[in-house]
Amino acid sequence: MIAQTNPLLKLRDLIWAWTIRTLRGRYQQSALGWLWAIVQPVATVAIFAVVFTRIVPVDTGGVPYILFSYAAVVPWTLLATSLPDMAMSLVQNMNLVGKIYFPREALPIAALLARIADFGISFILLAILVVIYGLPVSPLGLLFLPLIFLIQITLLLGLGIGSAALNVFYRDVDPLLKLIIQIWFYASPILYPVTLVPEKWQWLYFLNPMAGIIASYRDVLIYNRLPGDYLLPAALVSLFIFVLGYWFFKRVEFQFADII
Amino acid sequence: MPPVIRFIDVSKRYNLGLTRTSLPSVISQWAKQALRGGASSDRKYHWALRNVSFDLEKGESLALVGPNGAGKSTILKLLAKITNPTSGKVEVNGQLSALIELGAGFHPDLTGRENIYLNGTILGLSYKEVQKRFDEIVAFSEIEEFIDTPVKRYSSGMTVRLGFAVASCIEPDILLVDEVLAVGDASFRQKCIERIKTLLNNGTSLIFVSHDMGLVRSVCERAIYIEHGQVQNVGTSGEIIDIYNQVLDRRRIEKMSRADGAADDVEGGVEVTKIEALDANGNPVRETYGDQPLEIRVKYAAYKDIGKANAIVLIYRSDGLMCANMRSHLDGYPLHITKGEGEYSVRLEPLQLFGGTYYAITWIMNADDSDGLAYGASDWFEVRNRVPGREAHIAVYEPNRRWSQNAGVAVTETARQA
Repeated sequence: MIAQTNPLLKLRDLIWAWTIRTLRGRYQQSALGWLWAIVQPVATVAIFAVVFTRIVPVDTGGVPYILFSYAAVVPWTLLATSLPDMAMSLVQNMNLVGKIYFPREALPIAALLARIADFGISFILLAILVVIYGLPVSPLGLLFLPLIFLIQITLLLGLGIGSAALNVFYRDVDPLLKLIIQIWFYASPILYPVTLVPEKWQWLYFLNPMAGIIASYRDVLIYNRLPGDYLLPAALVSLFIFVLGYWFFKRVEFQFADII
Repeated sequence: MPPVIRFIDVSKRYNLGLTRTSLPSVISQWAKQALRGGASSDRKYHWALRNVSFDLEKGESLALVGPNGAGKSTILKLLAKITNPTSGKVEVNGQLSALIELGAGFHPDLTGRENIYLNGTILGLSYKEVQKRFDEIVAFSEIEEFIDTPVKRYSSGMTVRLGFAVASCIEPDILLVDEVLAVGDASFRQKCIERIKTLLNNGTSLIFVSHDMGLVRSVCERAIYIEHGQVQNVGTSGEIIDIYNQVLDRRRIEKMSRADGAADDVEGGVEVTKIEALDANGNPVRETYGDQPLEIRVKYAAYKDIGKANAIVLIYRSDGLMCANMRSHLDGYPLHITKGEGEYSVRLEPLQLFGGTYYAITWIMNADDSDGLAYGASDWFEVRNRVPGREAHIAVYEPNRRWSQNAGVAVTETARQA
């Protein structure tokens, strides 16, 4: 009979196996393989660099534009790629969800982890760029890096798990999500610095957790300073979204098999 | 000891409308209601189960028998916690494993090895637990040499074998088996049955769903007949199989009397309705002797004209050894199947099988022998040895024979060398 292993341990192993499966499926038959993880953010930055240094110059506060842009595009790419993946994770595995019981959250979580692997690769390139350009980086600021990352993951988990569950009921979630991500891109400080946002609207602006998260990444990575106050609302909003998304998921979880 | 499974007055309702609640359809719904000027409910419900109750004791094996859509799979889903009952209560005491979707979650690009870990963790094992059982799984699935080959290069038989090996290695308290043994070749099927019986002997309780009544009889003590989501009869598997066969016969007659469209229900246009082992007088055989004649008679129902076809009859020993492989066209006896019921038979005179437990299967093949149109398996029949005390299964062949001896002849030098 089965030894009573800790269920969390089993969940961890399941998530891990599913992550490997996702990564294998993505890169097995592709010539560039994991290099694709870098291609997308690098190509995006290349386009931005042409537009925003030559045509409409942006004030980056004395930092090379490529770094300014890449430091934002890397975390943004994580969001833009992982959210649709997570949203589709349950629906794409209908036969499994409908026939076998296992902790369903494993699927969206694994979808996120597989994108975090890409994030890791493009982040290494970011670190290399920072070193090449010889930007000063304070160790204290770097200590904040895991925290900023954790806040972003909390946000993505909440949104991703919630949309995965909602997508089971309404397939509109997928196109809607892509639309939201498109708009969200302009509402986040990727093309421009946060200083461009008028002072009196900043409180509203920073209700967008990605604004605080991206600004904080820039603070510690390229501006050699601690994250600004905006990290706090980002953390609170992210946590709220996480609780909401997870609560919704757990609430409707038992209906998945009936609908799918 | 409390029962391992208690189904107490369980009902399950599916809401057929829910999947299509799109905004345009909701708007048109409103429009319709407004025009009709009254509230009307177009919502359609389907009761998959109504007030179903049963218990399963530890170590017991129970078959769920009934036509498609009767609610058997819904019961399994409720047991596996995939879905919740609309009313009533489902109690499960113990670790449960479901042999429902073999190889569920296999990824074609991953190797057999990687898929074992993936599948094992989906089925509720930790990485370490899979590791412990790894060799056993590989040995059972018989794919040692291909273990590091991507699963997409496997034959469907290999995939199913691997799936069964992973799912059955869990050794659960309660095992759910849904129709999975219909796939795979006969010898592997036999191996799976032996595996299930071993689990039963070790105290696992079994819920078994199959349309193969021979399997039900050989695996399960008790059975429930379900139709329209309700329990119709409870009894020993023998009793329930008789009831089920009566229902099937009645259906078949109805279907035959309908138009040609009925042929669409049956893949291949023909189905094997019965396959029996008969003695010299045409009576069904449960026990016989190797020196007796045996006839394998197959009844079929064709829903369209098929024309030329070939019959295959195979005899298997209970451990999966194929003992006879008979093909009508190779013997110069092709079938000719026209719409309606018919039968064919092959007579073995005498049987010449050694003591043991056997069963026969048949395939109706298309004219060029490339595709199976219908399949059927008989119940077990027991062949006894004439001389008591001889162990069964130690040989296959019981030849017609005559001993002789010449006594008192001098042994010459040449004879000894030969």
